[in-house]
Amino acid sequence: MPSLHIILTTSFIITLVILISPVFTSILYKSLNPNWHTHHSKNAVKMAFFTSLLPLFLHLHTGTELTITNLHSMNIMTFDINTSFKLDHLSITFVPIALYVTWAILVFASWYMKSDPKFNQFFKFLLIFLIAMVTLVTANNMFQLFIGWEGVGIMSFLLIGWWWARADRNTAALQAVLYNRVGDVGLIFALGWMATNLNSWEMQLMFITAKSLDMNAPLIGLILAATGKSAQFGLHPWLPSAMEGPTPVSALLHSSTMVVAGIFLLVRLSPLMQDNPFALTTCLILGALTTLFTTICALTQNDIKKIIAFSTSSQLGLMMVTIGLNQPYLAFLHICTHAFFKAMLFLSSGVIIHALNNEQDIRKMGGLHYLIPTTTSWLTIGSLALMGTPFLAGFFSKDAIIVALNNSYLNAWALALTLLATSLTAAYSLRMIFFVNMNFPRFPALSPINENIKSITNPLKRLAWGTILAGLLMTCAVLPPKPPMLSMPPYIKLTALVITILGLTIALELALFTNKQRPYMPKQYFYFSTMLGYYPTIMHRFFPYTFLKLSQTIATMTIDQTWLEKTGPKTITSLNLSLATTTSNIQKGMIKTFLSLFFTTLMIIILLNYY
Amino acid sequence: MLPEQPVNMAGVVFRRWARALSNGNRSGISAFLLGNRAASGMTKDSLPGSYPKTPEERAAAAKKYNIRVEDYEPYPDRGEGFGDYPKLPERSQSERDPWYQWDHPDLRRNWGEPMHWDFDAYIRNRVDTSPSPVSWSSMSKQLFGFIGFMLLMFYLGEKFPSYQPVAPKQYPYNDLYLERGGDPDKQPEEVKHYEI
Repeated sequence: MPSLHIILTTSFIITLVILISPVFTSILYKSLNPNWHTHHSKNAVKMAFFTSLLPLFLHLHTGTELTITNLHSMNIMTFDINTSFKLDHLSITFVPIALYVTWAILVFASWYMKSDPKFNQFFKFLLIFLIAMVTLVTANNMFQLFIGWEGVGIMSFLLIGWWWARADRNTAALQAVLYNRVGDVGLIFALGWMATNLNSWEMQLMFITAKSLDMNAPLIGLILAATGKSAQFGLHPWLPSAMEGPTPVSALLHSSTMVVAGIFLLVRLSPLMQDNPFALTTCLILGALTTLFTTICALTQNDIKKIIAFSTSSQLGLMMVTIGLNQPYLAFLHICTHAFFKAMLFLSSGVIIHALNNEQDIRKMGGLHYLIPTTTSWLTIGSLALMGTPFLAGFFSKDAIIVALNNSYLNAWALALTLLATSLTAAYSLRMIFFVNMNFPRFPALSPINENIKSITNPLKRLAWGTILAGLLMTCAVLPPKPPMLSMPPYIKLTALVITILGLTIALELALFTNKQRPYMPKQYFYFSTMLGYYPTIMHRFFPYTFLKLSQTIATMTIDQTWLEKTGPKTITSLNLSLATTTSNIQKGMIKTFLSLFFTTLMIIILLNYY
Repeated sequence: MLPEQPVNMAGVVFRRWARALSNGNRSGISAFLLGNRAASGMTKDSLPGSYPKTPEERAAAAKKYNIRVEDYEPYPDRGEGFGDYPKLPERSQSERDPWYQWDHPDLRRNWGEPMHWDFDAYIRNRVDTSPSPVSWSSMSKQLFGFIGFMLLMFYLGEKFPSYQPVAPKQYPYNDLYLERGGDPDKQPEEVKHYEI
């Protein structure tokens, strides 16, 4: 088929134009219909999705990949920064998935945010976020990637703090920005290192020139960036706090697209990392620690959105582990399948929250299986996909990861932690399903429970199809770049399944205990889990307090006191005083003083004469 | 009824403004220029003063800051420049009752309440001093103990990775004799650790 690249280029540019146009038309054109912009945005994303399927199918059929370079922004001697889009397997696959999930979320948000006065602005923000994400994903140079990176960070801040009148929400938005900023320091350091040592920010040029260099420093910078953006241990508290934002924001940003940006960065730059065992080990250790720590925290949470947020964090840790195993393609596969079932989990929880009149505590839910059967079925399907149930979407990626982990000659403790986290994933998923779906209702009877709304059922149905089929489709359609592990003993192959079933069984047993045994005083490890490992409590109290106090004291008191008093008058006074006191003490007329002075002077004269 | 005299409304309005803004004691243009002051802002009496030494000064300072004399405690006079500003308890705004009808509900503060010297550190977006269910020492020990344990175990995991080898590695081509710089004319000896 001739001129494939023209078809690919054109359809991609059309996709971008379709996405960007509602932002401009909302400034230039105001309609009488108050919901005009919402319909416009939804339709734009829908059309953009269908348009982006053309590059996807072309790519799947013929394997076409290309790079589009448009504007020459800055060209200094040999250093070029252009607007260039890289349409390789990663971006061609990710963009339709992101658009599909966003389409579903926008349709859902048109119901969820209906009573919000700034309805249209919300949709505009989501659209701008999507544009930033597409910029990040299709970037062929680090500068464009950085533009997308910062864009998603800012939109995350604006969207988390959407209902800005609540102080807790402001704090959560501030937390997100600050933690992302710490990660950005790593990215900027890596950018600077690459500009000075590799003399380029173009991906292809960097991969070639980096072959012979010691890449430890920039890779640590990139891992720090991924730690900040993808909420790895150390910079993770912002993700659960980000649940203060509206549910569509949580579904889009903090589960499917924005938080995977860090992992995507590492996948994109994986050719730089594949020969560096130090960076790979760091990723492995960080990912394993994250996945276990956040799973422990998820076990005792009572807010449904927080449980799903911690499960997102745990899956991000798993993706980091996969990168540490030098399997970036499997990490990317998990990004894609995770987008579907996590968005579905969040949207189902959004339906449940709205249905129970904004009740988010799972201890006050129950028996919803009989009241909103479709929504709870989606919740269950999403949880099963999360656990890696065979042949749902999560299975293809998660099982492949665990199998690769089991067969690697790597850190045994990382292996142990990841397996433990997998079984605990099953445990907290079952806990959530148990509290929400099963048993009897624990909420007031007068709740607006209704799921007979097209805006809910259609998008969730679409996401459910994605959850069930996406893994299968992606695995069948694409040949993985690295050969997968195929030959291993059966107990290794079945490890993931066995430990998931183990976790599920233990959780079920514990759940059945709850109405038969007396409640007891919580133990120390319960507090460890509920208070999120004490990490937010310690870090958010000690460091700000110390730094603020120190800076205040220095700025208002110490500087003035030092420069105006201590370095000038007071020190001169005290010095003079001590000198004067000593001198007048000497000249008081005491014999001992006279004799000691006499002998001291004598010694000095003798010494001076002889040397 | 008398016909209404034509009146310059702008002039009337301007005169009213000038009268409101001027100082009543003086006259002429100096009344307007020197008496021009707004109704808000600090007066000289409400500014902080120097460290109170006598009980009367303490009482006056407490009244100025809107605190009871028993509660008033100035910062110690060590040359840091606090003056008579009261030393309020180091408690964050998050510790205050969320359900009480504060004048400023988001700040959890009433009008006229004395502000802490470091109030910007104690707003709800910043440091939270509310009591935790577990003591600080216990929390620190558990968190850093957990992190330390994990780091130790990761170090051990690096030393003993999964799948420990059961025999030394056996390379082909006579244990890579030529690649390791062996003499091509000489016959190398056999190195075999295991047979397949």
